[in-house]
Amino acid sequence: MDLRETADESAFRLEARTWLEANVPAEPLPSFDTAEGFARHRQWEKKLYDGRWSAVSWPEQYGGRGADYIKWLIFEEEYYRAGAPGRVNQNGIFLLGPTIMEVGTEAQKERFLPTMASSEIVWGQAWSEPNAGSDLAGIKSKALRDGDDWILNGQKIWASRAVWADWCFGIFRTDPEAERHRGLTFILCPLDLPGITVRPIAQLDGDTGFAEIFFDDVRVPVENTLGEVNKGWGVAMATAGFERGVSLRSPARFSEAVNRLVALWKRLGDKSDTALADAVTDVWMQAEGYRLHTYQTVTGMLEGRPIGAEASLNKIFWSEMDVRIHEIALQIIGPEAERMEGPLERWVDGFLFSLSGPIYAGTNEIQRNIIADRVLQLPKGM
Amino acid sequence: MKFSFTDDQRLFAEGLRELLANECPPTLVRDVWENGTGHSPELWAHLSGMGVLSMLAPEADGGMGGSFVDAILLFQELGRAAVPGPVLEHMAVAVPALASTTFGASLIAGDSIATLWVDDSPYVAHAGVADLILRDDHVLESFQSTDAHGMDGGRRLFTVSGGDRTDATPNVAGLDPFDAMALASAAYLIGLSERMIEIAAEYARVREQFGKPIGSFQAVKHLMSDALLKVEFAKAPTYRAAFSASIGADTMVRDISMAKALASEAAYRTSRSTMQVHGGIGYTWEADLQLFMKKSWALMRSYGDANFHRRRVSGFVLA
Ligand SMILES: Cc1cc2nc3c(=O)[nH]c(=O)nc-3n(C[C@H](O)[C@H](O)[C@H](O)COP(=O)(O)OP(=O)(O)OC[C@H]3O[C@@H](n4cnc5c(N)ncnc54)[C@H](O)[C@@H]3O)c2cc1C
Repeated sequence: MDLRETADESAFRLEARTWLEANVPAEPLPSFDTAEGFARHRQWEKKLYDGRWSAVSWPEQYGGRGADYIKWLIFEEEYYRAGAPGRVNQNGIFLLGPTIMEVGTEAQKERFLPTMASSEIVWGQAWSEPNAGSDLAGIKSKALRDGDDWILNGQKIWASRAVWADWCFGIFRTDPEAERHRGLTFILCPLDLPGITVRPIAQLDGDTGFAEIFFDDVRVPVENTLGEVNKGWGVAMATAGFERGVSLRSPARFSEAVNRLVALWKRLGDKSDTALADAVTDVWMQAEGYRLHTYQTVTGMLEGRPIGAEASLNKIFWSEMDVRIHEIALQIIGPEAERMEGPLERWVDGFLFSLSGPIYAGTNEIQRNIIADRVLQLPKGM
Repeated sequence: MKFSFTDDQRLFAEGLRELLANECPPTLVRDVWENGTGHSPELWAHLSGMGVLSMLAPEADGGMGGSFVDAILLFQELGRAAVPGPVLEHMAVAVPALASTTFGASLIAGDSIATLWVDDSPYVAHAGVADLILRDDHVLESFQSTDAHGMDGGRRLFTVSGGDRTDATPNVAGLDPFDAMALASAAYLIGLSERMIEIAAEYARVREQFGKPIGSFQAVKHLMSDALLKVEFAKAPTYRAAFSASIGADTMVRDISMAKALASEAAYRTSRSTMQVHGGIGYTWEADLQLFMKKSWALMRSYGDANFHRRRVSGFVLA
């Protein structure tokens, strides 16, 4: 155990910091849940890619730096420290990308990864359906084989950023006879094909951050299948593992948020309120604990101890911590917390968004079930 | 940056786990509760023989020459077995602090037993079995101890009077004894919590109601998952605190406080949840769970409770 950075890691940190300081936009970009904001974020991703910072942990041949996970965490720390924009292609770079590297063919890697790294193609995730959310294995959208094509029919919902995204990765029922988890296939699909209708859905903050996607006899070539036919559930679970595990919510995001919270407390907090000071300290410890836990997980991964169902613990921890950070911030802010626009709007916005954390990427109730069943080995429920 | 234990460290901890599975089963813990000693000389001899007690003493003095990183998993294993007696006080403070004094040799060998009297505490844990007591500026021998009826029969409390003093200023690698104990207790509390979860999970698999194992009920699953969550997220901070202590980092006091605050809260939450999962049997003297719960209630309040340590972290973070 040595929790100090190596010289190599410090040099990497410095390189990232220097680049970010020179390149991060001075003014925050408009929300990527607006047309203009989406376009501006795509440009930013291109800039990151040109500096080879968009997917640092990917192999160099696909636009990454082949950085190990420790360096990736360091990069993330610098990224949030610099106040750099949100990642508009996160579903691609952090979820689908690693999945393609794990199960994709060489041709698929060549075809999809570089344009993903550059965000020439921004990806949306088309899994949930109106009647299949937590019970994802109950999806009904179908893919029927016709020669060298799949014919897609059905409806997906809650697909983040799909309003402006270029492609989506979905799971479809390919064997109508098979039960639930069996008979599903993971398919990659452009969103501008004939037969596709994307209908924006306004989120709690009023922006159209997700969408419904309707498939009406949409034809995609079978070579767009990721992994084996009828084995899509396993592929999807690998993706979900990345999502719940370390890659979607890197600790830096929360370390940065608690640092802002401490600054907010210093500026506006009632210093005679010891309960408030305790609450701020509590979430500071949580963010620090999450950071340490992640470094431990990642070291384990590097040493050949991959993360399993424990990823569900992370998902609960970060999502509940994020809500708590924002609850405390709004308590400090007081009456200003009622305003959607104003000098402290970022906290109000952040609060609304934090409330979705316990829901997306598998609700926290589902995560608790997973932990109980797979980590604690309790008997399956009904 | 490397946040993991070496194979040697892991193997040593596994060895200790095995030893304790054989030599410190709940029946032994219960025996020392019930015979009123709160200590097992046979177990003590095993711990000494394995080198556990002398882990933090320099090799030159006949110890194992380990650091807090070498010791932290051992504290955790001791907690998993609710090892009774002054093992933490002896191992984490007395041995390293007094290794090079005249008391050193017999402490390192485990022939004499030491405990700790924290500054303003009215009670001294384990005084009844200790040969010497370490205080902030002296060592006490030949003292009188009177039972103060502690809740945990494996950590008996006493009031102490009289005794012969020898000057000494204990210091454990730059930490004062209180902080060394806070760190050791944090790891011990994590071990206790892990064991409570194991016991309750096993019970939830076998106890049936409504024709099903109670572990299949979601309310039970979620109680258990939430306890595990707190325990798992107290671990990395505790290991980090051990690392900080081992290199004398500027942040070591803050880091120890963070660990003790989180581990104390995790242990309390775990004790509540695991007792609830047991139903009526959880409220009995017979259930082994109490051996672990009561130890956790004693230790979460000792060497600074969660509030004390949280405020100390505040002092660093909000300053
Ligand atoms: C901001 C946001 C972004 C999203 N982005 C995407 C995306 O990009 N792509 C995509 O495919 N999906 C996305 N989702 C959808 C998300 O994955 C689902 O909302 C989620 O899985 C829950 O499904 P549901 O909404 O149908 O709720 P339901 O499954 O109907 O759940 C409702 C409530 O019932 C509880 N519940 C359900 N089953 C159980 C059970 N067995 N035990 C205990 N409690 C249970 C749930 O925990 C929840 O509290 C997003 C959601 C949000 C909020």
